[in-house]
Amino acid sequence: MSDSMKDAVAVEPFVFATAQYESGDWDSAPMLPANVIDSVARYTSLPVRPQGVSVPLSSEAVFAYPLLFLTGHLPVRFTTREADVLRRYLVRGGLLFVDDHNHDVDGAFHKTVREEIRRVAGPLVPLPNTHELYRSFFVFENGPPTTSHEMNGWGDNLVHEQLDAVLRNGRISVLYSSKDYSSEWSFHPDNKRFLSVDNTKFAVNLVVYALTR
Amino acid sequence: MNDTRLLSRVAGVRRALTRLVYARAMLVAGSVALSAWLVVDGVRLARGSAPFTGGGSVGVVAGSALLAVLLAAWLRARRRTRDINDVRTALWIEERDTDARPASFALVTLVEALVARRAFAADLSARAIAESPLLQASASAVLARTDVPGALRRSAKNQLLGPALFVAGALSVLVVGALVRSGPSGIAGSVSRAVTGDSAMAAPIPPLGAWQVRIDAPAYMRRAPQQFGDVQNVGAVSGSTVQLRGTGPIPEQVTARLVGDAADTLAAARRERVLVPTASGDGWQVRTIATDGPVTIQLSRGGRARLLVIEGRADSIPAVSLLQPARDSVFRAPEGSLALVASVRDDIGLATARFELIVSSGEGERFTARTVAMGARRFADDRAGTIRATMDIAALELVAGDIVHLRAIARDAHPASNREYGSSETRSFRIARVAEYDSVAVEPAPPPEVDKSLLSQRMLLMLTEKLEKQRPSLERKTLMSESIKIARDQARLRQAVGAIVFQRLSGDVSGEHAHSVGDGHDHGVEQQQGKLALSGSNAGGVLEEGDDSPVIAINQPLLEAYNAMWDAGRELEQGSPTSAIPHMRLALAAIERARSAERLYLRGRPPTVIIDIAKVRLAGKDSGTTNTRRERDALPPREARRAARLVVAAQLVTGDVSAARDTLAVLRVEALGDSPAFAAAVGAVLDALGRNGDATEAFVRARRVLGGVVRTDASAWSRGVPR
Repeated sequence: MSDSMKDAVAVEPFVFATAQYESGDWDSAPMLPANVIDSVARYTSLPVRPQGVSVPLSSEAVFAYPLLFLTGHLPVRFTTREADVLRRYLVRGGLLFVDDHNHDVDGAFHKTVREEIRRVAGPLVPLPNTHELYRSFFVFENGPPTTSHEMNGWGDNLVHEQLDAVLRNGRISVLYSSKDYSSEWSFHPDNKRFLSVDNTKFAVNLVVYALTR
Repeated sequence: MNDTRLLSRVAGVRRALTRLVYARAMLVAGSVALSAWLVVDGVRLARGSAPFTGGGSVGVVAGSALLAVLLAAWLRARRRTRDINDVRTALWIEERDTDARPASFALVTLVEALVARRAFAADLSARAIAESPLLQASASAVLARTDVPGALRRSAKNQLLGPALFVAGALSVLVVGALVRSGPSGIAGSVSRAVTGDSAMAAPIPPLGAWQVRIDAPAYMRRAPQQFGDVQNVGAVSGSTVQLRGTGPIPEQVTARLVGDAADTLAAARRERVLVPTASGDGWQVRTIATDGPVTIQLSRGGRARLLVIEGRADSIPAVSLLQPARDSVFRAPEGSLALVASVRDDIGLATARFELIVSSGEGERFTARTVAMGARRFADDRAGTIRATMDIAALELVAGDIVHLRAIARDAHPASNREYGSSETRSFRIARVAEYDSVAVEPAPPPEVDKSLLSQRMLLMLTEKLEKQRPSLERKTLMSESIKIARDQARLRQAVGAIVFQRLSGDVSGEHAHSVGDGHDHGVEQQQGKLALSGSNAGGVLEEGDDSPVIAINQPLLEAYNAMWDAGRELEQGSPTSAIPHMRLALAAIERARSAERLYLRGRPPTVIIDIAKVRLAGKDSGTTNTRRERDALPPREARRAARLVVAAQLVTGDVSAARDTLAVLRVEALGDSPAFAAAVGAVLDALGRNGDATEAFVRARRVLGGVVRTDASAWSRGVPR
């Protein structure tokens, strides 16, 4: 790699992007981006931008971000423009991480966003807990870490054993979670010192996977 | 030999044998008791402690122990003698018949039969045996052949000689030891010197034991003597007689030493004074007079020394406080009365107190002064009291310009002729001169706050429209004046609207402050020549986290109102109400739109979190170097010497606690005057030693106090650095 290429890589830090869509409440987890950024900075040496961005899903600006985070409680209906941009984003190698903030498989968000994902990217299939996503940085022997909301019986009162994904050429294209990481990770990063085990480590795996696979 | 005589003789031998058993038991018991006594006494002598004497509790304990041993031996002997009966005695006799070998047992058989017949007359077999002539003849022959008295003597010699010799030897040692202790010269003294190895010591002099301290206060204090037990330090008022009494021989040396910094050897020597102890009854006594400062009395005897610290303190002069009058004053005329009140107190006892007035009269270079006393009172050794008086100003015959200095004074019972008295602070009052009446000094009061009128844009518009109607009839100057007044109110209202806008956008109530491009201080709006405009950075489609665009949209009417007010104010300042009215109407319309705008109640605005990457990665500005420890400043010479003595005392604690206590006691009284904090810390060490507790922490604190080391308590969140 030439020096110019190294410089080009070095000056482009990772930017955590939250997908902003027309329907629903896309900004329901306002503290999550800062928390994920904090974890990436805390555990990795990846260059990372200290503040996240919100990117309209209808804008081609999403192409600048390798990982898009999408969450909400309300029904999701992508506009034609949004579906088009998202489809092209995924074809170009982007990774969309969708989390159900309701933690409810019978909820409006779950039903509608899975329909939209199927329409745009294809059907979601269970992701094996032995997938390399769970070993991309930290090792999660039992698959996705359980959230306190699952343990406390919120939402659908289920502990979801695994995540769903749309794979494209062996790589995760869309990752879907019913585990409500939006609630689990939505706290001020300064409060991590009160946790015996940092519950945001899985976010590091997600970012590293999106950047390196 | 008939049967009765035979039995009688055997019984006599039995009694002799019984007495022999008792005698041996007593001698063995005595040997054991004397051995124990000698061992304990020897150990005490080797340790340098006083030997046992015959009296006191030690004697009672020793006597009781001896009786207990003898009783146990007697009981044991009694149990043994139960086995000694006539039959066994006969056997013992027959064993001594050396001519009959093997033994015939004729005597045993006959005695056994006789005893059985005596106990049970119907025993025919026993009768037959007892009346057997052959047996009787054989038994008589045994008795005739055996030297029973000689056998008894030999047995007594074998059984008693050893214990008797041991007892005699032990008694001899005790007697010789007593002679050695009682006589300082002659053979006994030689033995003592040989035993102790100290040629100078005539006898093992017991070290100074407990003493009694008596303090007789000076006569003027009229206090009863104070008695103390075996104390290490006492407090005494200067002039008190301190008497120290003890038992045993007179101490060889008694030295009184004024406590002070001992750096100067000559000065230290000048502070020493040798006291002469005298014999008193069965002991000794020594006296000294307490001074204003601490004094140590060091007594030496038997190679060991003890220390008594006398904390002398001076009889302080009375403290007087003038309660009334409370402050100085100026009287217009020399008339009326003045109440005088003063409180007095003393550490020992008050004698007298009174008010003292000094009246100064005159003017220019001619002044006269006179002293007046009033309110005198005697006290009966009370420690505190109050004196009161009423001063008749007219009775002082004052004239204009006279000055009266007033104070209270008090004396205690100290008899010294040059004894100082205590006095209060001085108050003064003056009779004003006529010429002073023209002088008026009135401090101006702060002006009252101006009421703030409530204004509204509609009112301002109505005022402006009214001014516009009057404009043709008004002079330009008047028009300008009225217009500027409205412009000033318009500016005030504009600032209020601006405050609302900025508060909603940024939480900053005064957003009208300087901004510059790229200063990282963006409210979402920016000022352009006094007006507000949307910030250009928000024009793009990508918004930062926590962007404020919805709020700006809601405040758009207020922004328009603000800008319209700005234009209206500028026109009014130029005296042009005609041009201001359209802007004011625009502002009013904008405010109305803001009032009727749809309310959107959003959830709480989350804080904008920008991660400090360097801080998270622990790669901030810190260079990684730790703070270097700074060497402590060297202690001043006096504190350094005290620190060294403190260390010496700490080292002594593990070996000779009493010496450590003496050192610390002297150190404490030395520091009482110039370093009370250190004295208190040393006092804490003494307290810890007195409780036989661990004094390490107290020593450490004393050393820190001496060095002026200030340590802050570790906070709950720190790593708990030990203090």
